[in-house]
Amino acid sequence: MGLDMDPMFLAWSYFRRRKFQSCAALCTKLLESNPYDQETETKIIVTEAAWSLKTRALTEMVYVDEIDVDQEGIAEMMLDDSAIAQIARPGTSLKLSGISQGGGPSPAVRPMSQSGRPITGFVRPGTQSGRPGTMEQAIKTPRTAYTARPVTSASGRFVRLGTASMLTSPDGPFINLSRLNLTKYAGKPNLAKALFEYIFHHENDVKTALDLAALATEHSQFKDWWWKVQIGKCYYRLGLYREAEKQFKSAFKQQEMVDTVLYLAKVYIRLDQPLTALSLFKQGLDRFPGEVTLLTGIARIHDEMNNIVSATEYYKDVLKQDNTNVEAIACIGSNHFYSDQPEIALRFYRRLLQMGVYNCQLFNNLGLCCFYAQQYDMTLSSFQRALSLAVNDEEVADVWYNLGHVAVGIGDMNLAYQCFKLALANNNDHAEAYNNLAVLEMRKGHHEQARGFLQTAAALAPHMYEPHYNFAALSDKVGDLQSSYIAAQKSAAAFPEHVDTQQLIKQLQQHFAML
Amino acid sequence: MAAERIIQRSDVRKSQLRKVPELPILERRNWLIHLHYIRKDYETCKAIIKEQLQETQGMCEYAVYVQALIFRLEGKIQESLELFQSCAILNPQNVDNLKQVARSLFLLGKHKAAIEVYSEAAKLNEKDWEISHNLGVCFMHLKNFEKAKEHLNYALQTSRHDLTFMVLGKLHLLEGTTQNAIETYKKAVEFSPENAELLTTLGLLYLQLGMYQKAFEHLGNALTYNPNNYKAILAAGSMMQTHSDFDVALSKYRIAAHAVPESPPLWNNIGMCFFGKKKYVAAISCLKRANYLAPFDWKILYNLGLVHLTMQQYASAFHFLSAAINIQPRMGELYMLLAVTLTNLADPDNAKRAYEQAVSLEQLNPLVNLNYSILLYNQGDKKGALHQYQEMEKKVNKLKASSNVLEFDPELVDMAQKIGAALQVGENLVWTKPAKDSKLRERPAPSSKSTTNQQPLGSNKALGQAMSSAAGYSKTMQLPTGGYPTRVQKPPSLPLEPESSTDSAART
Repeated sequence: MGLDMDPMFLAWSYFRRRKFQSCAALCTKLLESNPYDQETETKIIVTEAAWSLKTRALTEMVYVDEIDVDQEGIAEMMLDDSAIAQIARPGTSLKLSGISQGGGPSPAVRPMSQSGRPITGFVRPGTQSGRPGTMEQAIKTPRTAYTARPVTSASGRFVRLGTASMLTSPDGPFINLSRLNLTKYAGKPNLAKALFEYIFHHENDVKTALDLAALATEHSQFKDWWWKVQIGKCYYRLGLYREAEKQFKSAFKQQEMVDTVLYLAKVYIRLDQPLTALSLFKQGLDRFPGEVTLLTGIARIHDEMNNIVSATEYYKDVLKQDNTNVEAIACIGSNHFYSDQPEIALRFYRRLLQMGVYNCQLFNNLGLCCFYAQQYDMTLSSFQRALSLAVNDEEVADVWYNLGHVAVGIGDMNLAYQCFKLALANNNDHAEAYNNLAVLEMRKGHHEQARGFLQTAAALAPHMYEPHYNFAALSDKVGDLQSSYIAAQKSAAAFPEHVDTQQLIKQLQQHFAML
Repeated sequence: MAAERIIQRSDVRKSQLRKVPELPILERRNWLIHLHYIRKDYETCKAIIKEQLQETQGMCEYAVYVQALIFRLEGKIQESLELFQSCAILNPQNVDNLKQVARSLFLLGKHKAAIEVYSEAAKLNEKDWEISHNLGVCFMHLKNFEKAKEHLNYALQTSRHDLTFMVLGKLHLLEGTTQNAIETYKKAVEFSPENAELLTTLGLLYLQLGMYQKAFEHLGNALTYNPNNYKAILAAGSMMQTHSDFDVALSKYRIAAHAVPESPPLWNNIGMCFFGKKKYVAAISCLKRANYLAPFDWKILYNLGLVHLTMQQYASAFHFLSAAINIQPRMGELYMLLAVTLTNLADPDNAKRAYEQAVSLEQLNPLVNLNYSILLYNQGDKKGALHQYQEMEKKVNKLKASSNVLEFDPELVDMAQKIGAALQVGENLVWTKPAKDSKLRERPAPSSKSTTNQQPLGSNKALGQAMSSAAGYSKTMQLPTGGYPTRVQKPPSLPLEPESSTDSAART
């Protein structure tokens, strides 16, 4: 049978071509035909190779780059006090919100995700938009308000990942971790590394992984930077940030790698020391001039600290190095859109389109940019495309909401009303749509209905100043000054520099102090 | 040691001698409460009130009264109402208590109940301006203007106050009698000439009536007393704009932009300043910012349409003008501009319809008929053109008769003469200035289309309209027509831009 290839070679070839499913299946067959306790030397080597290859294939199926996995659950946000300074000086901490340093657009122009954090152009899993103040508040607010995905109590997604991967193999887990003799594997570096990755990424058993890594690094006499980084990763997962920092630092001394810099910066960000992270990134840039990930990291920190101007500068540096960087293009594009330059934003988003990005959000943004840049021929078709590409109800709602804005722009109030209603039908918690519906009702003179909508909007999104202000103005008009005052104060808390709110409060206080 | 002890003992004896028997007087510490209250030391004040109320088991009227006042300052009107009510029970003969109960009711928006209580209070004290004033305000909220006026006038007779004047002026404006309002404000300014708000309002009223000299005087006075008065700055700037003094107006607006960086009227006026200086791109970007902040404002849309017409970007012009018409359907000039746009977009049928609408809505402006006439002429409909031309002449004659406007825009006159000659009605021209022969010859040439188009656009007349609309904007904005400020329609929350999702998000 000349057609039959050597199965080991074929499996290896599958692995290189990233056909992990076929590779794993072939390895399983190989292992079944050659039980592990064989006597001959060559057979043992073959089985070991197959075993190792299968671990690697299984790991690669679920592999997520650890640098991008940065998820804080409610518990980490609330109950964890890693930051040293409780009341840091403005500009030195990521936890202070509401202080715009770079002169970015105000909430009157750019919508807010939480008070003081303008929405970004690009959502990463690690994106945190402000933090809840108390546990109660964290539980009450919508689950996606602080991170890019629903918040869980203690980073529970890691647990879920593990179970999910177990489901894919019907005959139970490949390796029974509790029966492994870690010391034996730690002695064989070529097996140990693959096994560690399997334990860490596939099984998500950080403790066992840490045990293995500790034994292995001992075996290599602390001369392998890779093991140090892995130990640091384990410590980071376990929440031991200072220990993780030590490992990463020592690894960086041994061998300068971009990865290590990124891990170290992650630790510093978790410890709420953005300035240390920035100087670290700058050091890294000295070693690796023009490294895109480092530049992006700097830009992200500036963005988190609300210093949009310097964030944009660094994103521009990123684009000079890599002109297809989706994150940089999206961030600069949204920044241009909100600083009265929709034409330039349109160019950035069209660049994304040319690169083959094809999703609902992009077409939605394209539609908005086209409309505000007065390219009327492409506006509605973009929105249509966005509607057809939307994968969930929230996205549909957002597209309808934006279509409502277009309808307001052409002065067709009935269409706008229908659009906002549709946005609500698709996403019942769409506070902006409630607010805009209330404004439309107010124009028609239906005060009671408007009040109802505004109250709903204010309850759904307490960080938005618009519903509060509108409610205050409406109550002031009908003469209910108490409600007006309460709402105006909330509006002032959400957006302190709002001139109309300030005037309203001043006027109300005059009323209260009179006579 | 011994000496010290003796001194101590004598001290004790002295203090025993000095001690006055403490009487449980209810109002014992009113002076202290009052002192803290007027120093705005509310925390201490509250503590003392609490002590005092505990001592007297809640019978101390003044403590309850001040507590209620503090609650009201904190915006807790409901609590303050309850406390004032208990005050009124403690001392039903006191007018102040009744007045405060009514005031709290008023602040809660219960105007009818407030009127009842005020009437009660009025029975106890006839000569109180506050009661009459507040009754007037309450009636104004209930839209009972006659009674409101009566009460306010009575309040003025008893004692004159700025506030009463202001409410009365507002009332006149609500009724639509600007002349009366001006009289009221005039009296008020005589009474207190240093009140910047009164001066500003009066200036704006004069501006509305076109009495620029007086308006300027008053606004200038207002600015002297309060140089950062945003309303006055805006009004003064728009007046300078009307007289084409764009640089000065811009320097005025620069001051205002610091105070209110996100005000749609301000950006509208700045945009029209740039338009006047022929900086069209800057004008568009300013106007678009204004429009972004206030999407429901038809004046900004009108100006945007006008600027785009000037830039010969007819598609955008059509968009903005039609949006403006949707929001403000009763305005002839809008339809006229829309018709001009439609002519340029090669849709003469709809243009004709728009002109029909414009002619039916617009009673005074001869420009509408002139433009319509030109369109009809270009279409070959000489009869219709002649009819429109005569309509225009009628309007011009009427305007001349009313002698408000003596000077017509030269470009308008010029074009009218041309078309008049083309229609062979040149002999009975309303303007005495004879038309030149060369122009007569040029007129019916087929190339006239471009001149026709540019006529209403580039003309100073159109610009003048834009200016006046810009000025008018600030007027309507600042002269509240409702009982309370009309700017309820805040810009709705801004276009929410959902973040583009990421590769990494997709991968996880």
